[in-house]
Amino acid sequence: MVWPLAKSAFDRLVDSDWAAGYDPQSISRGFAGVRKNEPMTQPSTTAHDAFPASRNPRVYVVIPAYNEAAVIADVITAVKASCPDIIVVDDGSRDATGAIARRSSVYVIRHVINRGQGAALQTGIEFALMAGADIIVTFDADGQHDAADISRLTAPIIAGACDIALGSRFLGETIDLPAVRRLLLRAGILFTRVTSGAAVSDTHNGLRAFSRRAAECIRLRLDGMAHASEIIDQVIRSGLPWREIPVTIRYTDYSRTKGQSSRGAIKIAMHYLLGRVMR
Amino acid sequence: MNGFQVLILSVLTLLFAASLTALLRGWSGRREGIVWCGLCMIAAVATIWPQVTVRVANALGIGRGADLVFYCAVVVMMVGFWMTYIRLRYLRRDVTQLVRHIALLEARSQLPDADPGDDSGGNPSSRQH
Repeated sequence: MVWPLAKSAFDRLVDSDWAAGYDPQSISRGFAGVRKNEPMTQPSTTAHDAFPASRNPRVYVVIPAYNEAAVIADVITAVKASCPDIIVVDDGSRDATGAIARRSSVYVIRHVINRGQGAALQTGIEFALMAGADIIVTFDADGQHDAADISRLTAPIIAGACDIALGSRFLGETIDLPAVRRLLLRAGILFTRVTSGAAVSDTHNGLRAFSRRAAECIRLRLDGMAHASEIIDQVIRSGLPWREIPVTIRYTDYSRTKGQSSRGAIKIAMHYLLGRVMR
Repeated sequence: MNGFQVLILSVLTLLFAASLTALLRGWSGRREGIVWCGLCMIAAVATIWPQVTVRVANALGIGRGADLVFYCAVVVMMVGFWMTYIRLRYLRRDVTQLVRHIALLEARSQLPDADPGDDSGGNPSSRQH
């Protein structure tokens, strides 16, 4: 009677690190800001130490991609120029996204079934942690981001000024942002301010950078697009210092077709609210 | 007893038998098995003696027994849809974790075996303590 209980407790103890991403309980536990394998004396509200100049921090760029065969090669080439370690998460694409990505020397992770951008990001982040990343950058595959912004996001983390850098198009530059899309994004920002209490100027920006310990706090459970609000939530709750960095977003005809419709936005909001109730 | 009642009753009998078998053999959860059997019996009573529903309806201040049955059906269906939806969400989450697990297993071969100079992360098996 006691033995199976003790055994399962032991298993959980031994497996805890590997299973952390798969254990629903760890999701609620994971936001203490300090994980158990880190010294507890370190207050979570201060940023990590700056990286020593002798060792270059390993920066990994995670690119979640779903049916992006038309642009993925260009995006990889552009990102390669500023960061050689790239992880493309092929989220069950039905086109040649994965095959094209495999042609360049990047890590390609394949979701057998399409699970949504949030799920792909989480997979990419976990793989980057496995690979020993010091800093993890998320980058959209549709070519709306400027690869030159990556170094601007990682700079404050490398300097030890913050753990999380969020790209903001409203602090930076937006090229050809449609009026309806602007309105929708404003609504999203207001929504996030109400639900998470975070004064973030651009909540739905795919360009973000995390220090290793910040990435360890991120556990995305919302598979679809609602993860954008979820990330902000978890960033706030982790208690780790974050800041916004102005970035450029380029709205092309291609990226516009990949974006969200107004109806989709309402669906995303519903998903997010339900996700907050359900643990 | 008219033909419609016979039809409904035979369907209910089959359903009841199936639920009872599932309950006794442990195929279904105990609670849902009991709920299903109970629902079948209530429906059978209401089919054989429709006057019972009238009496219950009157006691609750509802005019007709048919209305009571209708209201109950709406509530049961809504609860059922909601529970199915929640189930589906958890199922999706499980599928995601499965897909992620497979993806990471596949992708691990791309990583160099030893993680040189890395003490904080890398291979999960080396992180056990």
